[in-house]
Amino acid sequence: MNKILFACILAVMIAGCSKHVLDTEPNNSYTESTYWTSDKNALAYLSGCYQALTFNGLFGYATPLWEETATPNAYDYGNSDGFSLIALGTQNATNASTGNITTGIINGRWSDAYGGVGRCNTFLDNIDKVPVLDTALRARMKAEAKFLRALFYDMLETYYGDVPLILDEPDLTAQGNLPRTPRAQVVQQMLKDLDEAVPELPVKYTGSDIGRATQGAALGLIARVLLFEASPLNNTGNDLSKWTAAAQAAQAVMNLTGAGYGLFPDYRGLFLPANEDKQETVFDVQYSLVSPGLGNSFDLIDRSYNTNAPLLDLANAYECTDGLPITQSPLYDPSDPYNNRDPRMSKTIVYPGAKFLGAITTATSPFQITGYGVKKYSIYDSTSSTNLINQAGKSETNYMVIRYADILLMYAEAQNESVGPDASVYNAVNQVRTRAGMPALPAGLTQTQMRDAIHLERRIELACEGFYYTDIRRWKTAEQVMNATIYNSRDQPIVTRTFNAARDYWWPIPQTQRDLDANLSQNPNY
Amino acid sequence: MRRDMPLFLTPYNKFMKKQIPGKSPASIYLHCFFLMRLTILLVIISTLHASAFVNAQKHVTINVHQEPLDRIFTVIQKKTGYRFFFNYGDVRKLGKSDLKVTDALLSDILDKLLDGKMSYRIIEPDMIVITDKDQAGPGKIDISGTVYTEKGEPFPGVSVQVKGSKAGAITNERGNFSLTVPADALLEVSYVGYETQQIAVQGARKFTIRLSPVSAGMNEVVVVGYGTSKKANLTGSLATLDMKEKENTPITNASQALHGMPGLWVNQAGAQPGLDVATIRIRGIGTLNNNDPLVLVDGIEYDMNEVNPAFIESITVLKDASAAIYGSRAANGVILVTTKAGKKGKMQTDYSYSYATQKPTYLPDVVWDPIQYMQMKDQAEINQGTAAASVDYTQAQIDQYKQGMVSDPLAYPDINWFKTVLKNGYLQQHNLRFSGGSDKISYNIGLGYMDQDGILIAANHANRYTVDINVSANASERLKIGADLIGNFRTYTEPAFGAPNPTNYYFTRLMRVLPIFGTYTHDGRYASTVFGTPGRNTIENPIMLLKEGSYNNQIQRTLLKLYADYRLPFNVHYNINFGVDRQNAYTTNFVPYLVTYNPVTLAPNNFNINPASTNWDNDNLNLNFYQTLNWDKRISDHSISLMAGESYNNFGSNAFNGHAEGYFDNTLTDLAAGSTNMTASGTSTKDVLVSYFGRLSYSYKDKYLLEGILRYDGSSRFADGRRWGTFPSVSAGWRIDKETFIQLPSAFDLLKLRASWGKLGNQAVPLYSYLNTVNIGSAYSYSFNNTVSSGAATTAYNDPNLSWETTTDYNGGLDISLWKGKLQATVDVFKRRTSGILMAIQIPAQIGELKGPTENVGVVDNTGYEIGLLHHNNIGNVTFEVGGNISYVKNNVVSLRDQSIISTNRITEAGHPINSYYLYQATGIYQTQAQIDGSAKFSNAVKPGYLQYKDQDKSGTLDGNDRIVVGSSSPKYTYGFNLNIGYKHFQLTSFWQGVQGGSIYPSLNFAWPFNNGAGVTKQWINGSWTPTNTTAKLPILTTATGATENFQPSTFWLRSASYLRLKDLQLRYDLPDALASKLTAHKIAVFIDANNILTFAGYKDFDPEKNETNDNLYEYPSVKTLSCGLNVTF
Repeated sequence: MNKILFACILAVMIAGCSKHVLDTEPNNSYTESTYWTSDKNALAYLSGCYQALTFNGLFGYATPLWEETATPNAYDYGNSDGFSLIALGTQNATNASTGNITTGIINGRWSDAYGGVGRCNTFLDNIDKVPVLDTALRARMKAEAKFLRALFYDMLETYYGDVPLILDEPDLTAQGNLPRTPRAQVVQQMLKDLDEAVPELPVKYTGSDIGRATQGAALGLIARVLLFEASPLNNTGNDLSKWTAAAQAAQAVMNLTGAGYGLFPDYRGLFLPANEDKQETVFDVQYSLVSPGLGNSFDLIDRSYNTNAPLLDLANAYECTDGLPITQSPLYDPSDPYNNRDPRMSKTIVYPGAKFLGAITTATSPFQITGYGVKKYSIYDSTSSTNLINQAGKSETNYMVIRYADILLMYAEAQNESVGPDASVYNAVNQVRTRAGMPALPAGLTQTQMRDAIHLERRIELACEGFYYTDIRRWKTAEQVMNATIYNSRDQPIVTRTFNAARDYWWPIPQTQRDLDANLSQNPNY
Repeated sequence: MRRDMPLFLTPYNKFMKKQIPGKSPASIYLHCFFLMRLTILLVIISTLHASAFVNAQKHVTINVHQEPLDRIFTVIQKKTGYRFFFNYGDVRKLGKSDLKVTDALLSDILDKLLDGKMSYRIIEPDMIVITDKDQAGPGKIDISGTVYTEKGEPFPGVSVQVKGSKAGAITNERGNFSLTVPADALLEVSYVGYETQQIAVQGARKFTIRLSPVSAGMNEVVVVGYGTSKKANLTGSLATLDMKEKENTPITNASQALHGMPGLWVNQAGAQPGLDVATIRIRGIGTLNNNDPLVLVDGIEYDMNEVNPAFIESITVLKDASAAIYGSRAANGVILVTTKAGKKGKMQTDYSYSYATQKPTYLPDVVWDPIQYMQMKDQAEINQGTAAASVDYTQAQIDQYKQGMVSDPLAYPDINWFKTVLKNGYLQQHNLRFSGGSDKISYNIGLGYMDQDGILIAANHANRYTVDINVSANASERLKIGADLIGNFRTYTEPAFGAPNPTNYYFTRLMRVLPIFGTYTHDGRYASTVFGTPGRNTIENPIMLLKEGSYNNQIQRTLLKLYADYRLPFNVHYNINFGVDRQNAYTTNFVPYLVTYNPVTLAPNNFNINPASTNWDNDNLNLNFYQTLNWDKRISDHSISLMAGESYNNFGSNAFNGHAEGYFDNTLTDLAAGSTNMTASGTSTKDVLVSYFGRLSYSYKDKYLLEGILRYDGSSRFADGRRWGTFPSVSAGWRIDKETFIQLPSAFDLLKLRASWGKLGNQAVPLYSYLNTVNIGSAYSYSFNNTVSSGAATTAYNDPNLSWETTTDYNGGLDISLWKGKLQATVDVFKRRTSGILMAIQIPAQIGELKGPTENVGVVDNTGYEIGLLHHNNIGNVTFEVGGNISYVKNNVVSLRDQSIISTNRITEAGHPINSYYLYQATGIYQTQAQIDGSAKFSNAVKPGYLQYKDQDKSGTLDGNDRIVVGSSSPKYTYGFNLNIGYKHFQLTSFWQGVQGGSIYPSLNFAWPFNNGAGVTKQWINGSWTPTNTTAKLPILTTATGATENFQPSTFWLRSASYLRLKDLQLRYDLPDALASKLTAHKIAVFIDANNILTFAGYKDFDPEKNETNDNLYEYPSVKTLSCGLNVTF
C-alpha cells in the first residue's frame, strides 16, 4: 500500500515538472514573427490599412458631414465630435476632447490618422518578408500603401501644420519623443510617396478590387496637396509656380486615359449606393452592409440626428436658375424663396416647403434646429420610406474623398490663379455647372470675378460633403465668414461665432498627446 | 460579534477579588496559572498522566518578600507555564510568605510554601491543584449544580465530566446535573462552541456554572496558507472574520461581508441583483494594474462570490508577507475562505430565513416639473449666448404644454420618472444545513435559495440556488479522505438594450430622461414626447427599455475538491488536493423592436428597428492540484514545523458567441429564428502556473517565534526566460508575556511583538502581454465593392521583457490581550513597496495609435497603520461589546521613469497617489466683465457668472500646464466599529463603517446641468449665479454642452467621497429554550435588521460609496434594506 502511494506521489511530482508545461500560445492572433508568410496575409494587412479610413476621426461615422458644421454652411446644436467648438472658435487643446463621438475630432483625427500611418508603415516594412509573392502584385500593394500613407498625412498636415513624420513601423523608443517635423518636409514626403505610387497603380480595377487606390487617386491627391500649398494660407508670397504645379497635377487626372473619368449625369443619384464607383469617383471610402461593422452613419445623422443642420447662409448662396444670385435675380421671390433655384439645392438639402419622406417640411418639423436638413449622402428623399434607419443602423453609401467635379474645380481654381480665366478654366467650371443644370458662367469675367465664381461653385457643388472647412481656411476667408451670427430658415439668429485669425486657421496639438510626448510643440496662440 | 460573558474561571485579577467574599459554597473560585512541571509531583499523580514525566526535573529561582501565596503562584506560573487551581480564600488564609530560593525543585518550594496546611497534586501535565488538607482524600461525595448560558439561561445538554475518569453527566433541560465524585475531583464542563471550564470540587456540594461562548482567545486556530496556525503563535498580520458576526445581515455575496475588516477597503458600488459584488482593496492600491486580492476557497483558487455566504465558516485575510506562500499572486493580499464542515455529534439541522425590502439610498434630486424644466433649459441657452428666438422651447410650446397638462395629462405628463421606474425591491433567502458525524465520518449538507427583485420595475431579478456538500472520513488510522462540492447556480436579468453592460447603459438613459417624456400613448403604445428636444433624437422610453426584450444571465459554477491526508512514518503528513472549478456562463440577449410614438401625432420614433439576438457562452475550467508534506516536532522547548509543497494550476477558458438579425417581430428570440447577418465567434485561452513552496516555523518555549517562507513560481504569462520568480518571507514574534525577565501586570494574557518581511509578486497582466501580435477578425475588415476583405492589424505595442511585479512588504505589529480577552488590541504598521509595477502605459498616438504596452515601469509605496480594539463585558444582565478599527494608507508613487500618465482628469506621477485627480484650479465665479478681460480664460465666450480658473504658470493662457494634482479616489482612512448590547434574550448589534479622505468627480448627466440634452437637478434652481445672486455656489445656469468652459476638469466639481454609515443594525430575540423546546426546536431566534439606513456624507446627489473609477452617475443605486427573519436549530 505504501509503495503504491509513494509511486503515485512521485508520478504526480514528476508530471508537474515537465519543461514545456508553461508554453502557451494565443489561438486567435498571429505573432509578428509568424504573420508575414503569404500573399493572403499581406493582402489582409493591406485591407487593415484601408479599414483605417473608416476610423471616426477620418472618414468614418459621419465625420465628413459634421466637418461642414465648422463652416457657414451648417450648424450642430450638440457638440458632435467637437466641431461645434471649432465653429464657435472656442476649441483648445483640452476641451476638444469632450465631443460626443469618440473623443472629439481634434484628438481623434490626430490619433486615427497616425493609426493609419502606423498600419501602412508596418505593411511597408514587412511586405518584403513574404517569401512568395507575385512581383507585380507586391509592387501594386506597396503603391497602395504609399497612397494611403500620403492620404493619412494629408489629414494631419492640413489641420495641424507641423506633425511628426514617421515612416517606420511603430517603435516606442525611436518615435516616442519626436518633435513636430516642419510641414514642408511632410508634404515633400507625401509627394514622394505619391510619385512613387503613380506608375505602380492601375488606372482601373475590376470586381472585388474596385475601391483600391488607382493611379487617378494618387494623381488627384497630388493635386489636392499642391492646391493646399498654392493657396493663400500657405503661399503668402503668392508664388504663381505653386498654382501652376497644382493646375498641372489636376490636369494630369483629367488627361488620364483609360480611367474614363467624367461627371455622373445625375447629381442626386451620384450620392446613392446604386451609383457608386461610376465615372466620377476618383477615390472613395467603401462602405457596405454585407457584414456588420462595415457601414457609416450618414443616414442616421442626415435624417434623424440633424446634427449637420444647414443654415440660411447656405440656402441663400444657391443661385437662381438664371445663374444670378438671389440678390440680383428677377426669378427670386422672397415669399417663395426656394423656387427657381439651382437644382443642386433641392438635391442637397431639405428646406421648408419641400416634400421629405412623404410629408411637407415646415420650419420646425421634422428639422427643428434650423428648418433645414441634409439629403446628400442620405438614401432618404421626398417619398416616404419604410427603410428607416435605427440608432445602431448603418448606411452603405461610399464617401467620395476625391471626385471628378472636385478635380475640375481644383484645376479651374489653380489655372485661374496662375494664368487667369482662360478657356480651360471656363470649360472646367462649366462642365460642373452644366451637369447641375445651371447656365454657363458669363464670358469676360476678370480673374477676381472668376475666383469668386469658382469659390462659390466649390461651395455649392461640394456642399455638405466636408470640403468647405479646408477651403475657407486655405483661402483665408474664414476670418470673414466665420466671424458671424448664424440664422435659421426663419432668419432668426441662433448664435454668434468667432474666428481668431491669429489662431484658428490651425488646430491645436491635443493636450493628451503633448502630455505623452513633451517634445510636441503647440501651434501659435493656443 | 463575540459575546464573552464574565468567566466563572478567571485569571487572577483585582476585579475578581471583590467578588470573592460571601459567595455560595458552590462559587469556588479557582485561579489558573502556568507552572513548570516537577518530577516529585509526577510521582503523586496517576499513571494516566504519565506523559507529564517528559519535562521533569525543572528548577526554579524565586525571590519574593511578604507576598500572598497566590501572588507567588503567579510568579511561578510566569517562569514555568504550570497552571494552579486553588480556592482563593483558603490560600489567602495562609498569609504572606518570604521565599528566596535558587534553582530549587518546585516540589520543595511548594512543600515549603504550603507548610503541610494544604496539599497539592498534579491533575494534568501542566496543572497543579492545591486542596484543603482536610478535604483531600479518596472519599466520594454527591454533588449537583446548574449550568447557565452567558445570558443566564439554563443550559441543557452540557457535558459535566470528571477529569481523568469516565464518570460524567449531561445537564437536563433546566441545566441541572448531579454526580457522585471524589471530593478532590476536577470537573470539566463543556459544550460545543463554548469555552470548556475546569472546576475543582474541593469538597463542595453545590455548583453554579456559567459557560461563555468561545471567544477570540489564545487557543483560537486560524487558517493560514496551506494549513492552520494557533492565533497566539502568528507572526504575520492577518485579519479574520467569523461569519457568525454577519449572521442575519442582508448580504448576498461574501465580498460584502468584508466591510469593516481592518486594513481592507471594501467598496460596494450599487446593489444590482446578480452583480452586487464589492471591490476589495487590501492595504491600499499597490499597483496600476489589477488590484484584486487572490481568493482561495478551502485552499483552491475560486471566486468567493460564488459561495453562498451562509456556507462560510470563516474568512482569513493575509495582509503582509505571510501571503508570500502564494508567491506570484500574493501582492494584493490573499483571502482564504473556509466553508463550514460537519462536526462530530448527532445530526444538527439549521434553518434560516430572511425577507428584506430595499430602496435606493441616494438619487439625484431632479427638476421633474416640466414647465420649470423647459423654462430653465431656455434660460440656460440664453445665458450661454443662444439667441432668444432659437432656444429649445418657444413660449407657445410652453403655453401649449401648460394647457395640455390639464386637458391631456398622458400626452403632456407631469411625472417623476424615478418614481415611475423604481419601486421597492425585495430579497428573500432560505438556508438549510444538516451536519453531524461520528468518530469516523463527518458530513455537512448545505442548501440555499435566494430570490431577489431589484428596485427597477423590471429587468433586475436574481435567483440563486446553492449547495455545499462535504464529507470527510478517517478511512484508517493513517488515512483521512474527503470531498467537498460547492455548487452555485444563479440567474439574473438585465435590460435588453446596451450589451455588454446593459444595466449601466440603462442608467445612462434614465439619467437622461426628460420631464416632458411620456409614458404611454392613449392607445397603449410607448410614448415619446410631444416636442422634439435638440439632442434627443432617439427617444428612449425608460419603461419600454425595462419591459421589452430580454437579457438573461445564467451562471453555473461548481468547485469540486477531493483531498486525502496520509500519515507517513515519523509523523510526516502527506496531503494531496485536487480541485476542479468549472464555470459556465450563458447569456441570451434579445434586442427587440423599440419604437416610441408621439403621444399626440403618433409619429414613430425609432430607438431600434433591427431586432437582434445574441448569445454568449463562456466556459471556464480551472484545474488545481497541490500536495504538501507536513512535519511537526516538539523537542523539549523547541517546536519545529516544516511544510513543503508543490502546486499546479491550469486555467482554461473558452468563449463562444452567436448573433442573428432579421427577426420578423418580438415573438421569437432564439438565434435560429433570425434570418440575416448570422455571425459566430469564439476564443480559447490557457494559462498555467507551476509552483513550489515551503514553510519552516520554529518556536522556542512558545516565546520566540520564527517563520520562513519560500515560494518559487513559474507562469505562462511571461516570455520564456522570464517566467520564474522567487518569493521569500521571514517573520518573527516575541511573546513578551511569557518572558521571565519582564514582569507584566498580571492582567496581561498576551503581549506579542511581531515583525515580518517578504517579497510578493503580481502577475496579473492580460495573457500574451509579452507577445506582439497581429490581430485578425471582422474589426479590421474592409469591403471592396461590397465584398468583405478580411483584414489584419497590429493594435497593441507589447514589451517582451515584461516580468513579475515585486512587492516588498514590511510589517510590524503588537497584539495585546488583557483580562482573558476582555480587552484586546492589535496594532500594525506597514510599508509595502511595489517595484517593477506592471502597467499598461499610454504611448503617444503617433506610434501607430497603438495601445501602450504593459511594462514594469515604476515604484509605488503604500505605508500605513491599522489599529483594532475590542472590549466586551457585562453589567449585571447587560452584556456589551465595543470594537473598532481604523486603517490608514498613504499611497505614493515613488518613481515612474520620469513620466506622467494622464487620462482626462487624472494623473499618475511620482510624488502623488496613483490616479490622483489632475484639474484646473477653480478660484471662483467671475462677477464682472472687467475681471474677465484681465485674466486667462478658455475662450472669449466666458461671461460674468462663469468659472474663473487659476493661471498656475502665469502664462496668460489656460492650458494643460495650469492643472494641479489634487485628491485621489482612494480613501486615506477606512474605519469600522460595532456597538453591541445584550440583555437577557435580546441582542442589539450595530455596525458602523466609513471612509475618509477620498474624492469623487461626478460628471455628465444630472451631475451637470442639461448635459448633452439631459435634464437638470434642483440645486440649479436657486443655487446658480445670476446678476442678482452673485454669491451663489454654482456658476451661471448654462448647458454643460454649450458652455464647456465651466465644465472643464476642475477642482470646482471635485467632491469628497468621505462617509460614515450605519451599515447594519440588528435586533435579535432568542426564544427561551423552554419555549423553543415546546416548538420541538433546539434554538429559535427571530431578528429584524436594517442595512445602510443612516449615512453621513458631504456628497448627496448619489451614494458616496460609488464606483471609484467611474466619474458619472450611471450606476445602479445603492440600497437601504430592512429585513426580518428567523434562525432555527433542531
